[in-house]
Amino acid sequence: MARIMEETRKAFITGNEAVTWGALAAGAEIMFGYPITPQNEVMHYWTRLAPQYGKGFLQTEDELSAGFTVCGSVQSGKKAFTATAGPGNVLMQEPFGMAEAMRLPLFAVIQQRGGPSSGTVVYSQQEVTLTTFGGNGEGHRIVYSTASHQEIYDYTIKGFNTAWKYRFPTFLLGDGYQAKMREPLEMYNPEDRGIEMIDTYPLIGLPGHIGENREPQHLCNIYSLEEELYEVVMRVSAEYEAISPELVEYEEKECEDADIIVLSHGVVSRAADDAVKELRAQGIKAGYFRPITLRPYPQKQLREAIAKSGAKKLLIAESAYGQLDRLTKQEIYGETIKIENLFMPGVGIIDYDIISKVKSSL
Amino acid sequence: MSLIKIALAGEGGQGVQSIAEILAEAAYNENKQTIYIPNFGLEQRGGVSIAFIQFSDKRIGAPKFNKADVVIALSERAVERTTIYSDKNTLFVYDTGFKVEAEMLPQEAKKIIGIAAIDTANQKLHPRVFNIIIMGAVIGLTNVVSFEAAKAALEHKLAYKFEKNPDLRDLNFRALEIGKKMAEESLKEGVANNA
Repeated sequence: MARIMEETRKAFITGNEAVTWGALAAGAEIMFGYPITPQNEVMHYWTRLAPQYGKGFLQTEDELSAGFTVCGSVQSGKKAFTATAGPGNVLMQEPFGMAEAMRLPLFAVIQQRGGPSSGTVVYSQQEVTLTTFGGNGEGHRIVYSTASHQEIYDYTIKGFNTAWKYRFPTFLLGDGYQAKMREPLEMYNPEDRGIEMIDTYPLIGLPGHIGENREPQHLCNIYSLEEELYEVVMRVSAEYEAISPELVEYEEKECEDADIIVLSHGVVSRAADDAVKELRAQGIKAGYFRPITLRPYPQKQLREAIAKSGAKKLLIAESAYGQLDRLTKQEIYGETIKIENLFMPGVGIIDYDIISKVKSSL
Repeated sequence: MSLIKIALAGEGGQGVQSIAEILAEAAYNENKQTIYIPNFGLEQRGGVSIAFIQFSDKRIGAPKFNKADVVIALSERAVERTTIYSDKNTLFVYDTGFKVEAEMLPQEAKKIIGIAAIDTANQKLHPRVFNIIIMGAVIGLTNVVSFEAAKAALEHKLAYKFEKNPDLRDLNFRALEIGKKMAEESLKEGVANNA
């Protein structure tokens, strides 16, 4: 694989640019996309850089087509990806569902904006439910929720590998703030960090003859019999559950003796981190827990944090009206810890908001 | 340096986002932690353009903030739009080149400062370096970046223009210096303190 950077270098760029550079460094070959704020610049930067690195780009007629062209492209063995947001993410659920059904190594970047409908073009965390569980399926997906430009770069590289290793559609879930803000990060070639990029492979047009010297691929998204579908979904569910423990990622701080654990994800976790530090400085025993993978969810680790801390309260803070809250509750069913919430749909959360809420909750 | 939060607001074309980007790059070049985010909503189309910038020695948390240490509002509408970012710790700066009624200015501010950047640009320099005067003013008020780092970042950003017309370099650097001095004077004298 061609080296994208001569050496590791620092940069001060937007999150959308970080996606583009991460995709280049990961060896992505082609992007399919349709414009929507706040992910537009992923496409813009990609189209600027693609010709210099011999990469491809196709702007399709809409998001449905962008998603389906990625589905087609990865079947031919191309490392392909797309990026979208908001209503675009809604439209792409049909191709994303196909990727679940056919176990396609699809990678997509979602930069959340306000909803419902066109909502705002700015920011939210309101695409959690949509991205983690999608449409008419069982949520057989892997979703990384990033909190900094460094993570956007790191998880773009990782996302391609996860998709091609496990063959479940993989998502990087960012948001408008992360997409548009500039902050420093370090960019590197994966091999310089000991990261081995997984070679892609075609899923169709394979050599040999079915029944003679190879098995059929069974890339199928429709079945004639209920029992056939049942068998496939049950098998895929079992496979997904089996790999979940090795996929789960999370961050935990100060939970050992916490009276209250602040749970957040994505960019809000930056404010939560600051809030917990400030609360600790004031003598309030606050802890911090952040799922990095929203699917699969680090439910075992969260249960352990609750158990070892003996915390009486869990404060769930999110820029949505309860999407992380619902996800968390279903994952830690049976826990008796009291759950408080700070729901601020479509607007940013700062440390002050969390500190105030913690103080009024205790 | 502890966390410094700045909101720069103006009309489209006043160059607010450009100077925010240059300031943020200058701070980044000085190995400071920096986050810069523009407002990019539909409001941007015909509305007030706002740049949110934060500087610190330590990792910066949330990309936006409720209250700023410094607000600079460069039009009547920008004043109206940004009073919400002002509280008792805020230096609220506006340009005296447009009419602002006293009741439009924020109720709460550490200090309200009027500076004549538009007039100075038009009369002494060139209308196009108005935003560079403002950039100088930010440095004069906060010292978020050194004067030298700001010059270097300007040089980097405008290299292609300076190459074509070397006089522009001098014009921009003078604007930067004048802005810085105007701000420093205003802090000393407390001119136009309407708070």
